[in-house]
Amino acid sequence: MVTKTEETQLERLENQVDNGGGGAWEYLCLVGRLKLRRSEKVLKHGLSILNDPKKRSALGSEEWTLYEQVAIAALDCQSLDVSKDCIKVLRKGFPESKRVGRLEAMLLEAKGSWAEAEKAYSSLLEDNPLDQVVHKRKVAMAKAQGDISGAIEGLNKYLEIFMADHDAWRELAEIYVSLQMYKQAAFCYEELILSQPTVPLYHLAYADVLYTLGGLENLQAAKKYYASTIDLTGGKTTRALFGICLCTSAIGQLAKGRNKEEKESPELQSLAAAALEKDYKQRAPGKLSLVTTALKSLKSNCCTEEMLIWAHHSSDDDNSHATHLTMIHGPIQAQTIFQ
Amino acid sequence: MAEDLVLDTPIRDWVLIPLSVVMVLIGVLRYFVSKLMRSFQVPDPKIVKEGQVVVRARNLRAGANFIPPKSFRSRRFYFSNEENGLLHVPKGQSQNAQAAQMFSDPNMATDMMKKNLSMIIPQTLTFAWVNFFFSGFVAAKIPFPLTQRFRSMLQNGIDLSTVNVSYVSSRSWYFLNLFGLRGLFSLILGEENAVDDTQRMMQMGGFGFDPTKNLSAEKDSIDIIQHEWALPKFEQRAEAVLRKLVH
Repeated sequence: MVTKTEETQLERLENQVDNGGGGAWEYLCLVGRLKLRRSEKVLKHGLSILNDPKKRSALGSEEWTLYEQVAIAALDCQSLDVSKDCIKVLRKGFPESKRVGRLEAMLLEAKGSWAEAEKAYSSLLEDNPLDQVVHKRKVAMAKAQGDISGAIEGLNKYLEIFMADHDAWRELAEIYVSLQMYKQAAFCYEELILSQPTVPLYHLAYADVLYTLGGLENLQAAKKYYASTIDLTGGKTTRALFGICLCTSAIGQLAKGRNKEEKESPELQSLAAAALEKDYKQRAPGKLSLVTTALKSLKSNCCTEEMLIWAHHSSDDDNSHATHLTMIHGPIQAQTIFQ
Repeated sequence: MAEDLVLDTPIRDWVLIPLSVVMVLIGVLRYFVSKLMRSFQVPDPKIVKEGQVVVRARNLRAGANFIPPKSFRSRRFYFSNEENGLLHVPKGQSQNAQAAQMFSDPNMATDMMKKNLSMIIPQTLTFAWVNFFFSGFVAAKIPFPLTQRFRSMLQNGIDLSTVNVSYVSSRSWYFLNLFGLRGLFSLILGEENAVDDTQRMMQMGGFGFDPTKNLSAEKDSIDIIQHEWALPKFEQRAEAVLRKLVH
């Protein structure tokens, strides 16, 4: 996790470096420590240090770390030649290193020679079967080749040992969502919520999955998780507000037949609707009428799912993670409601 | 009488300075030797997994109220059922696991040996050397008076009770160097590389540690959790948040 102070420090350094104010090495160190992905900048500034013999020798033994950092950044930017040179230098410095072997395998992977990369990774795993990075690379490679079931299998095998790695759980969850295997995805999101209970993103995604699964119980749970998202973000998540409205109306429809269910308070929905209208009035006045009619018809329990999704999509909502989930869920949500 | 004690300058040149220099050089040498002998050992998958299981179980304990009751129950069963739960340690295995592992894994024993050897051998050698060549020297004088209690610390090897305590014997000078050079080493060899004898001695104490105890302790605490889903409360909280936002 990147804290606020680190973020401001990073921004300050980035500005300074970009404007030629020096401090490139500090910037690179910070990026490396926070594990951020700023490949283009790392490549540019890292190379400028490496190409300057005086600056390079001033680094001492840190020089090798920089070579590694730049090699990976270059792979990310598809500058394979640069990366190849860096790896060659490293290989000369450490003829038997496994860490350099990993880089070489990554180079093969970036070139697209899957079979060779696979072989290289496998031999690395033979030496050290607990190398987390290599395991993850293998999964990423399977995904890059479109072998989704292979990626799932690899991730499951990885998680059997490293079950406290929440990044892997998250990756698995997203893969399951993309395959519409929502029950499995729900499990992964539960795991994520357990490991970081205060991250609203996971609550939101879990609510989405539950809502998509459908059924009265899941819908009620989904509504609760949308509510917790609102609480955690201070009501700033448009997606969660829409979620509340949709859930309430869907629950209303499903519960219509059996009256013995205790009446849920409708207040949350009307509040969410009001918050939505206010938000749209401020940020996208042009779409306001669209939202108002959609919400009104939702209240009268007529399905206007598509309209809502459309409005949500075209609004200038900055929650990009949310939008990508909508695109996946859209048609299925509509089905659940029509049942 | 003690005030009249005059230290010959050759003592400084041939005892005090050589002793310090040798101690520093030996420290540096030992650092490089231990670096050479350090073997990379692949961690045991079972131990890694146990560590991860404990972390995940701890997460479950901490965040239990954030997941629906059904999910919680299935997870609890997964962790602590009596047949193949992750945290369940079969009886009898827990006591002798550690000992069995010690014997079955010669790597572990040799590693311990190496660590100890790199520490003990140079120490005994230098001690013998100091004892042989420099025994009985009064090597230095500290510029302030001290009480009698410091005599055993500063005048090791001189059995005279009349000498002023602020004189330091050669053997004591050796001990002072042995334990006091840490700051210098961290300057020469880098922050983390300082050879620290005192710390190493402490590490040896914490050896008899049993990881399975960790597992069963975690199992017990998971077994007694009362699950109370926190989410229903969040609806009211969200209402309050929104009310504030709208009005």
